[in-house]
Amino acid sequence: MKPKFISMALAAAAGIGLATPAVADTKVGLLLPYSGTYAALGNDITDGFNLALELSGRTGEFEIVREDTEVKPPVGLAKARKLVLEDEVDVIVGIVSSGVLGAVRDFVDGAQVPLIVANAGNDNATGDACSAYITRVSFSNAQVNRPMGTWMAEQGIKKVYTLAPDYAAGRQMIEAFTETYTAAGGEIVGGEYTPFGQTSDFGPYLANAKASGAEAIFVFYAGGEAISFVKQYGSFGKELPLYGSGFLTSSLYVNAQGEAAVGVTTSLHYVPTLDTPENNAFVEAFGAAYEGRTPSEYAVHGYDAAMTLMAAVDSGASDRETIAATLPQVKYVGPRGPLEIDPATNNVVQNVYIYETVMDGGALTQKVVGTVEAVRDDPKGCALQ
Amino acid sequence: MFRQSPARTLVLLATLAGLAVYASAGGYFAREIVVEIAILAILAISLDVVAGFGGMVSLAHGAMMGLSAYTYAIFSVKLGWPPLPSALMGIGASALFGTAIGWITGRTTGIFFIMATLAFGQMAYTVFFKWRWLGGDDGLGGLSRFDLGWLGIKMGDSLTFAFFALVMVLAVYAAAAWVLRTAFGRTLTGIHTNEDRMRALGVSTVVHRAQALGFSAMLAGVAGIIAAQHILYISPEMLVWTVSGEVLIVVILGGLGTLIGPLLGAVIFVLLKHEISAYTNHWHIVIGILLIATVLSGGRGIYGQVEHWLTRRTQPAGKTAEAPDA
Amino acid sequence: MDASFWILQFLNAAQFSMLLFLLSIGLTVIFGLLHFINLAHGALYMLGAYIGISVAAATGSFWAALILAPLAVMLIGAVLYFTLIDRLRGAGPMNQVLVTFGLIFVFLDLVRMGWGDVALGLSAPPSLAVTSDILGVKYPSYRLFIIALGLAIMAGLWITLARTQIGAMIRASVENGPMASAMGINVGRLFFIVFCVGCVLAGLAGVAAAPVTSATTGMGISILIPTLIVVVIGGLGSLQGAIAGSIIVGFIETFGAVLLPGFAAVLTYILLAAILVLRPQGLLPARGH
Repeated sequence: MKPKFISMALAAAAGIGLATPAVADTKVGLLLPYSGTYAALGNDITDGFNLALELSGRTGEFEIVREDTEVKPPVGLAKARKLVLEDEVDVIVGIVSSGVLGAVRDFVDGAQVPLIVANAGNDNATGDACSAYITRVSFSNAQVNRPMGTWMAEQGIKKVYTLAPDYAAGRQMIEAFTETYTAAGGEIVGGEYTPFGQTSDFGPYLANAKASGAEAIFVFYAGGEAISFVKQYGSFGKELPLYGSGFLTSSLYVNAQGEAAVGVTTSLHYVPTLDTPENNAFVEAFGAAYEGRTPSEYAVHGYDAAMTLMAAVDSGASDRETIAATLPQVKYVGPRGPLEIDPATNNVVQNVYIYETVMDGGALTQKVVGTVEAVRDDPKGCALQ
Repeated sequence: MFRQSPARTLVLLATLAGLAVYASAGGYFAREIVVEIAILAILAISLDVVAGFGGMVSLAHGAMMGLSAYTYAIFSVKLGWPPLPSALMGIGASALFGTAIGWITGRTTGIFFIMATLAFGQMAYTVFFKWRWLGGDDGLGGLSRFDLGWLGIKMGDSLTFAFFALVMVLAVYAAAAWVLRTAFGRTLTGIHTNEDRMRALGVSTVVHRAQALGFSAMLAGVAGIIAAQHILYISPEMLVWTVSGEVLIVVILGGLGTLIGPLLGAVIFVLLKHEISAYTNHWHIVIGILLIATVLSGGRGIYGQVEHWLTRRTQPAGKTAEAPDA
Repeated sequence: MDASFWILQFLNAAQFSMLLFLLSIGLTVIFGLLHFINLAHGALYMLGAYIGISVAAATGSFWAALILAPLAVMLIGAVLYFTLIDRLRGAGPMNQVLVTFGLIFVFLDLVRMGWGDVALGLSAPPSLAVTSDILGVKYPSYRLFIIALGLAIMAGLWITLARTQIGAMIRASVENGPMASAMGINVGRLFFIVFCVGCVLAGLAGVAAAPVTSATTGMGISILIPTLIVVVIGGLGSLQGAIAGSIIVGFIETFGAVLLPGFAAVLTYILLAAILVLRPQGLLPARGH
């Protein structure tokens, strides 16, 4: 929060001193949850977005309007309409939950306003419900999990039990994993979808997993449920090795899981300990700007949303139509490695990293144990090209 | 007992006129806000009918609204019916749901009634959350608005739709006021005040309560149709119990048992939320403090308080003002 | 699915029941005597968890958190009692529900301001972060501790109510407040003491549950539903009711997850609806209601 105030104060002071009103070239609507379950994600995405603008010294070029979706689809759509029709933004950035994305999809498509999705992973958004105006720089649910199925089979793990919350994202993640895992010769010996948001005891499911004869567990959980699950898994003595979608041990909250998270292996499109010049610079800048915090994958979504937007502007995009047309041509190497937009779906093409959470000098950190390069989604009914 | 006093009529018409002016003069977002207020107001009026006059505080009103919206989607999107009959099916389904809850929970009162409505509401929420055919938790799009082109009315226009929503508020208010003034409404209040006496008079309180909740659910169903047609997308979030909790807060802020208070409550709640969230992400604390302050200052709500002052000033000293129906 | 599997699931059910008991007992104790529906219980529970996490971080000791956080919550509760609760005693259940629901909103944002939006966790003490052998099954020691804590609180409350002078005074006040007052019992002070005990229990539940779950800003609201279900199923305001309600819900949820996973999400609601229809006052309501 601090640097933002300072930079705003500086901008204000500069504006007064020079007596020239700053004219922003591009108006951006940040459509994110700032209250409710996903407020922490909304804040991280905003911080990443602002950092990218500040580091490149271009805060003056972009005027930002923030709107809180409260993670409620009707509120999200109302705010999207406000951004487009009243604030007349050139581009909308954000959207954390797939429900809100589903609510605004038809509107932005019909109003022909470019939307850069900075989190929501619903496969359909860049599948059969894709749009020339919706570009996703975050991930798709299938994208982060397919590589894990193949990789686990290659490690010689023959039988797996799966668990995820009973909602669309949970199902998509498990189905994507199951598809590649069984194709590579693995066997799913059982699995359960747990009631979303109302399961506080995972003990019964862990006992089921053990009784199923599986050699390992593969799960997707995020946020508070991820903390509860990993801690309870740890308390039962880690009887089966735990694998999962990387959100399970996100750097945003892995410290709350403590020792229980050690040894958990997951796959994700970003790991803060990636040793590349781009990522090292990013992690250092993020920590310097935000009280030493480690950037999460959510912060990177915000950062990359701003980077791709700036790249589009640099190649001549200036209004809604040209921004939408230019975004799919963006290609650059960022904190998570080489990144490009697939013109066939408008979904990001990126590396997926398989990482293990390890204890290093009393602190939890991530050790990358495998990299699957340039993971690209099938168009699955998307006919952009 | 419900009374449609001249003051209430005046406030009703003035508020609706004010909202209409706000929608016409304000920008696009003003129309969004007016529709949001209208939906919340209809829900709050429908809850006030049972909570304020029948003592039945329900946490299933969000579910009733959502059931109506989903039924509308099933008939119009999945079965290809025209919007108007689909909407009637939606409102009918909601009314049926309300009647069923009222009948099944006929013997429970107070906190037990609240919990029973919570249980049925959450069951309905879970059904739609898990129902893949209707999009599950991803929700369902592709809905359409009423086609009033033959009247020369373009429902696709945001201002027209805001006016339509305001007209529906007026219609719902009129229906509620009319029902409450009939013998049925008076009996409902009678059951609330003294159930044993009404039973002794030969009134079947269970049937009466079920009918009241069915009527209230029908009005909530109207809110569901407007909500579905407003954003042309529905999701199970509409049914979750916190939506009903918010409606209850609106009723209390405005004035329980006044029917007009809930409309004012909705105006204040929505405007306040948008104003506060423009400055801070912590709008919960303001609503919380407001709720506490409302109850501590006598629990009459904003309209009830105003009416209380008015009657105290116009009535001779010594004579006590009419107690609110709460 | 051998015997050890069922022993394990039985222990899971017992643990979950005791957790539910700890969560709901504070609510039921206050209702039993004060006839006061204290939804701020959810907020106090959340404060217990967050304060506990901070105390544990500052002192490095879970046990310090388990003792100090409930006391801190009690102090907050005492302030609430004198500023709000005492005034609402005769205000009717609707007003009590609304004011205390408003308090949840207030504390939700206060916690967001103080601790941020990211979910937090609390580690079990090292001595309990292991597994024990029980009936031939490896079971987390911390979960056994929760079972023991639940049973201890249960026994403590039972003995206090049945065998001590203050228990007799409480029972007298529950059955007939005006009469107890006429007999020279200071009902006002008794109410205050009971309210404080309820707050301590809410705070204790917050700390005790934290190593099993996580601390999130929404926990004060999300906990309301399960605790109210437990309390309503068992019967408002009675210790026996809270015990019966927690055991029924704990076992139904656990074995529902094992045997009928597709219905796990609605099982408790069906149970709640069924009980309310068949026995509108709950299974074991307190006398005098």
